[in-house]
Amino acid sequence: WILAWMGLEINTMAIIPLMAQQHHPRATEAATKYFLTQATAAAMILFASTTNAWITGDWNIPQTSHPAATSLLTLALALKIGLAPMHFWLPEVLQGLNLTTGLILSTWQKLAPFILIYQIAPNTNPTILTSMGILSTLIGGWGGLNQTQLRKILAYSSIAHLGWMITILHFMPALTLLNLTIYIIMTSTMFLSLKSLSATKINSLAITWPKTPILTVMTMLSLLSLGGLPPLTGFMPKWLILQELTKQNLPILATIMAMSALLSLFFYLR
Amino acid sequence: MTSVHFSFSSAFTLGLMGLAFHRTHLLSALLCLEGMMLSLFIALSLWALQLQTIMFSAAPMLLLAFSACEASAGLALLVATARTHGTDHLQNLNLLQC
Repeated sequence: WILAWMGLEINTMAIIPLMAQQHHPRATEAATKYFLTQATAAAMILFASTTNAWITGDWNIPQTSHPAATSLLTLALALKIGLAPMHFWLPEVLQGLNLTTGLILSTWQKLAPFILIYQIAPNTNPTILTSMGILSTLIGGWGGLNQTQLRKILAYSSIAHLGWMITILHFMPALTLLNLTIYIIMTSTMFLSLKSLSATKINSLAITWPKTPILTVMTMLSLLSLGGLPPLTGFMPKWLILQELTKQNLPILATIMAMSALLSLFFYLR
Repeated sequence: MTSVHFSFSSAFTLGLMGLAFHRTHLLSALLCLEGMMLSLFIALSLWALQLQTIMFSAAPMLLLAFSACEASAGLALLVATARTHGTDHLQNLNLLQC
């Protein structure tokens, strides 16, 4: 666990100068908020693993078995990646960064905590996981409805996607990794196309068609893919997740997730 | 739960509450973060002593080194915030609201 914690700390500390590079007050503020949340989460992770070590004497990651330790670990890792109900830092921090740093924040920073979540997945409390997942998809859908800044929209979409990933973690962790991979690809596409369009608001997206019509079309397609429409790739993880959920006799859960995916689709279409 | 376990758990929880509910100054959040790291250091050291092995004895030192790095990064960010925002009052950190 100590090496995992060190890796997370190095990750945080490496990202902070990238975020604060701009010397704009918004960037500095975003970097400060990000630092505080990530440092808190890292300390909580270490505390949970130490508690587990005191109680059960185990220091290996996959054998973290005490329920209090795993619940605290789940909460701390959720704070690290920005799942609801610990998501409040994500839209503001993403708003304060330029698009490239925001890309790194949304994709690369999610990898390390997700690997830890994947490793402790068999021991965690399923109630916490599924409730955080549903809450994330709902908040990701509703929170993004009134946004005009593109980075905040992408932040809420990230929250919603992470909610989908966490929901399926208990039943089939392989689907979580598949969803994570596809999400990283789609989000990278979105960020890179927004960077080449240098658009940060919805209004500036609307006037891009004279400049590069092909890029505009591709942006729209990737947005629809993020929303999860067939026949685009984004539909595949949602379909598989819903299928797995119905196999486990949880149709209500599947319906709630599908409905909240509709919410995010609405603000993608705008 | 033994008394040692309870003591460092409560120290950590108090630091966490202080970090979560800091009201006016950013510096108090950094101080609480340092307090949490210190309680974790004590916890790790005592655990390594309790196990009577020498395998984990390097871990508290590593934790100390990393928490020092973390604190210095936090202080640098505090200085940057003071430069751009004027003070480190938390009400000044409101540029990024929706």
